[in-house]
Amino acid sequence: MRARKSLGKHEQPRAILNSLRCCLLLSLAVLVLSGCGETEPPPEPPPATTRERVVIGIIPEQNIFRQIERYEILTHHLSEVTGIDVETKMLPRYGNLIDNFTFAGLDGAFFGSFTYALAHERLGVSVLARPINLDGRSTYHGMILVRADSGIEGVEQMRGRRFVFVDKATTAGYLLPLDYFITHGVRDYESYFGETYFAGTHEDAIYDVVNRKADMGAAKNTVFDRLVAVDQELRTELKILARSPEVPENALALKRDVDPAVTQRLLAGLLEMHTDPRGHEVLQSFGALRFIETSDEDYRPVLEYAAQVGLDLSTYDYLND
Amino acid sequence: MKRRIIIGLTVYAVIFTLGGLYLLRVINFATERLDRLVQLHQVEILREHYLLKIRRVQSDLTLEGTRHERGFETMVSHAVVMRNLVDTCFTCHHEEEVLDRIRQLRWQTQLYQDALSRVLTMRANEARLAEEQNAAFLVGEELISQVGEMIALTGTKLESATQDSLQEINDTRFALYMLVGIAPLFSVVLGYIFVASLTSPVKVLLGSTRKLKAGDLDHRVPELTHEFGELADAFNEMAASLKEQMHEMQRTEQLAVVGELAAGLGHEIKNPLAGIKVAMDVLGTEAYLSDEDREVVKRVSHEITRLEVLMRSFLDFARPAKPRFESVSINTVINTTLALYSGRHRRAGDLSPPIEVQKELSSLPRTAADSIQLQQVFLNLVINAVEVMPDGGTLTVRSSLEQASGDVIVVTVGDTGKGIAPEHLDSIFQPFFTTKPKGTGLGLPTCRQLVEQHGGTITVTENPGGGTVFSVRLPVRAVIQDGVS
Repeated sequence: MRARKSLGKHEQPRAILNSLRCCLLLSLAVLVLSGCGETEPPPEPPPATTRERVVIGIIPEQNIFRQIERYEILTHHLSEVTGIDVETKMLPRYGNLIDNFTFAGLDGAFFGSFTYALAHERLGVSVLARPINLDGRSTYHGMILVRADSGIEGVEQMRGRRFVFVDKATTAGYLLPLDYFITHGVRDYESYFGETYFAGTHEDAIYDVVNRKADMGAAKNTVFDRLVAVDQELRTELKILARSPEVPENALALKRDVDPAVTQRLLAGLLEMHTDPRGHEVLQSFGALRFIETSDEDYRPVLEYAAQVGLDLSTYDYLND
Repeated sequence: MKRRIIIGLTVYAVIFTLGGLYLLRVINFATERLDRLVQLHQVEILREHYLLKIRRVQSDLTLEGTRHERGFETMVSHAVVMRNLVDTCFTCHHEEEVLDRIRQLRWQTQLYQDALSRVLTMRANEARLAEEQNAAFLVGEELISQVGEMIALTGTKLESATQDSLQEINDTRFALYMLVGIAPLFSVVLGYIFVASLTSPVKVLLGSTRKLKAGDLDHRVPELTHEFGELADAFNEMAASLKEQMHEMQRTEQLAVVGELAAGLGHEIKNPLAGIKVAMDVLGTEAYLSDEDREVVKRVSHEITRLEVLMRSFLDFARPAKPRFESVSINTVINTTLALYSGRHRRAGDLSPPIEVQKELSSLPRTAADSIQLQQVFLNLVINAVEVMPDGGTLTVRSSLEQASGDVIVVTVGDTGKGIAPEHLDSIFQPFFTTKPKGTGLGLPTCRQLVEQHGGTITVTENPGGGTVFSVRLPVRAVIQDGVS
């Protein structure tokens, strides 16, 4: 596996240890200076303030631990500027997003394009905003990747080989290859390939192809570009066989029963984030220039693509197994 | 003494300041060492905690896919805490060698997280899943091995550092105990010396006062220093003065007693003497007496007269008349006196020595005085002056007004005689002291008595040109009803 960039620091345990040390030193100073005495009762905790709270689901677009860090920085800043406690809930799979709206009490999520199409159809969520990436684009496309030295030029060379998808609920990681297979006459890919499996993240799908754990794979270009930025050799080691249409980048969508005032504050927080220096830093760390307002109309290419593949979103089985 | 007190207080202030600073330093030092000790054990606890978390994640991983699996959120939470713990290490260590090891641990932890992420998100056939799970497990075991190795390598160092810190803390505690024990002792000794230096001279002075009170007027305070030395000098001066006054008082009392006796005796003698004199005068007129016997009777009568004069002088001294104050011009009294002297001088005829009289009288205010008594004083001084110049000389009488501390009239009577021997200067005002063959020794004491009744003084000095100068100093006072102001 290739080198990955290091994770950011988490301050909470360190702060606990520092507080413990300060308490020990303070206790010692009190003992030395004034001798032992009766212990003071602990101070009463400050009264809790009533703040709005929303729980946002995060899909495993990349390594789940890096994904947690990436979104925690964003939601923490959003909490500060909006006064709303924005909590995140990392999900192991794209498809879990749909289930967790029902079982885990999510108020919204940063949906992938296809998962939003599914959620909109089944849960009635409304999209608010999506980021413009550092390359100035607010869309992404899927790519079918093979190793450059694999000799694979089309589906003919793929027969009997291993194909790694990302998730059945992704445009780039599943819809694109499905369309590619159908277009090239492969109706039953499970019997056509020697092995197919779901890596769960775009990042793992790409690295599995690079590390020869799979022969072909599908992933989104934005994750690929992010990995290339760290390891330039990836661009020469891999070859792109096909691309999907451009679809909206992962966007924040909330349930319709969320307080409209909260929805508006979150939307304003996202749209205005790039206007203050701290927000700009957060966006840079997140990998975006700014957020733009997004509507259901922006997802028309996804819906058309799904229809082209022949998927009925109301009945589509998005589970990987 | 003031300086000593200031120095003492300053020394105390400096000692307490230095002691306080040292205590602060010791406490700060001990706090730092304890801080260091706490940090060292935190590091130890942190590493153990880190190792525990890795083992817990390994356990989660082992149970993944079984019916005992702990769930996605639990596993992710454990892995996040594990990663945070290794990040915490960067806040404690600063040595490059240790930092390299921790960087290696963080890198290995990241690999472990990557592998875990794959296990958690992947959906594939059992063989592939088992392969991924096994790969993650091996990465975890490697991480455990690295952490264990680091704990083992640094364990000894931690133990050594802990022992060093404890030793330093013990040393600090010993120094603190010594300071707490010695400082009060030193303070007590210093305070005793300081207080003793104050109370010792006071005790000496108190003892001397008690001796003086007991009547030992010859006792003197031994030599003391600083302000106590000045106090001792004053005390000794007071004792000397007291002794002198005591002697003076005793002498006065003796004189008073003698005077009373003599006055009574004189009074008893005066009357018989008068009778004898009358008898002698009558006997001297008897015709049957031969000329030789008549001369004897006449000589006896003369001696009786001399005895009467002597007795009158003695009685005047013993029982001086109370002065009758009236407004007097001193210059007038002087002129009257000199006129009396001139009359007596003319009656003496050619046998009197040639005396030149110089009179220098300044303008003087009138003052309350008994002119008869002052005239007696001045006449006595003039007669004495003339008597010490048997071969002639200059009699100088001067009057002046001093205004230094209140108005004082000064009258001087000077002669150019042989003067008074220095050893007699202190005695000439004592009763019955005389250098004249026929003197009574009561003239000058009577003069002093009369002058003192006027609130004045009389002194004698050598005349720069030879002879003696008597000075009478009389305060200028106004006459008021029944006395003087």
